[in-house]
Amino acid sequence: MTLREFIISRLQLFCFLVTMILVTSAVLGAVIAPEKELRYYHLFSPVIIAAACVLPTIITYFRKEPTIPEYIIRLIAELSVIEVLVLIMVSPPADVDIVYFRIMLGISVFVIYVLATLMMLYQRYLQSKKFTRQLRHLQKSE
Amino acid sequence: MLEIHCHTLSDEVKEIIAFVKSRNGQLTGTVDDTMYEIPVSDIYYIEAVENKLFIYTKSKVYETKQKLYELEEILKEKHFLKISKSMLLNLMKVSSIKPSLNSRFIAVLYSGEQVIISRKYVPELKKALKGDT
Repeated sequence: MTLREFIISRLQLFCFLVTMILVTSAVLGAVIAPEKELRYYHLFSPVIIAAACVLPTIITYFRKEPTIPEYIIRLIAELSVIEVLVLIMVSPPADVDIVYFRIMLGISVFVIYVLATLMMLYQRYLQSKKFTRQLRHLQKSE
Repeated sequence: MLEIHCHTLSDEVKEIIAFVKSRNGQLTGTVDDTMYEIPVSDIYYIEAVENKLFIYTKSKVYETKQKLYELEEILKEKHFLKISKSMLLNLMKVSSIKPSLNSRFIAVLYSGEQVIISRKYVPELKKALKGDT
């Protein structure tokens, strides 16, 4: 992956995360504090959190090609940094148990991370399908 | 038809013969000190291993005295592509391409063998598949 492709993939990830955080906030909010009302400025939260979560993904960009174990270690490091960042950034509502809230938040971050990783893998799968199609075309044209 | 006359068949002359043959769609390789002519269309990939260069066909592996960069240049027009620091792949022998975990791709050959396409060479692959090379 070139730096340009990496930046494009991070922008795609950012948009995906904003959507996922918005959905998760709506679901968690409906479960934990359904009576709570939000103000307009709260709508910025998914954007700010998504931007903050995309930054640590720089960990997974490397000039030298990593081995599969190195790559997996970086993914775990990336997830850990994101978990810590979100747990620091998001504070629970006043009348909600902190431990319960932190666990729910941690699980939500993990689920979103897995979904985002799967989305990126799916994009690479689509790219490889495109390569195979182009390859067939090249072989037929000879 | 090209004729080469020489007093002794030295290594240099052998290299010249191999070069001329490779331009004509054939490579020269050895197996157990026996020399063979290998049609380029039979080659799956060419790999450098510890300063030696090997030519892989469906069922045989030949050693060649030619250099990887020389073959890269000669075989470029025959849809051979460098896919890692040490390997040239014949795109005509690839049945499919699938993703690998660490930004690499895997080329599945018609022989069933799989070879790794390094991240660094993916842009070249894209160009080759679009017909830019």
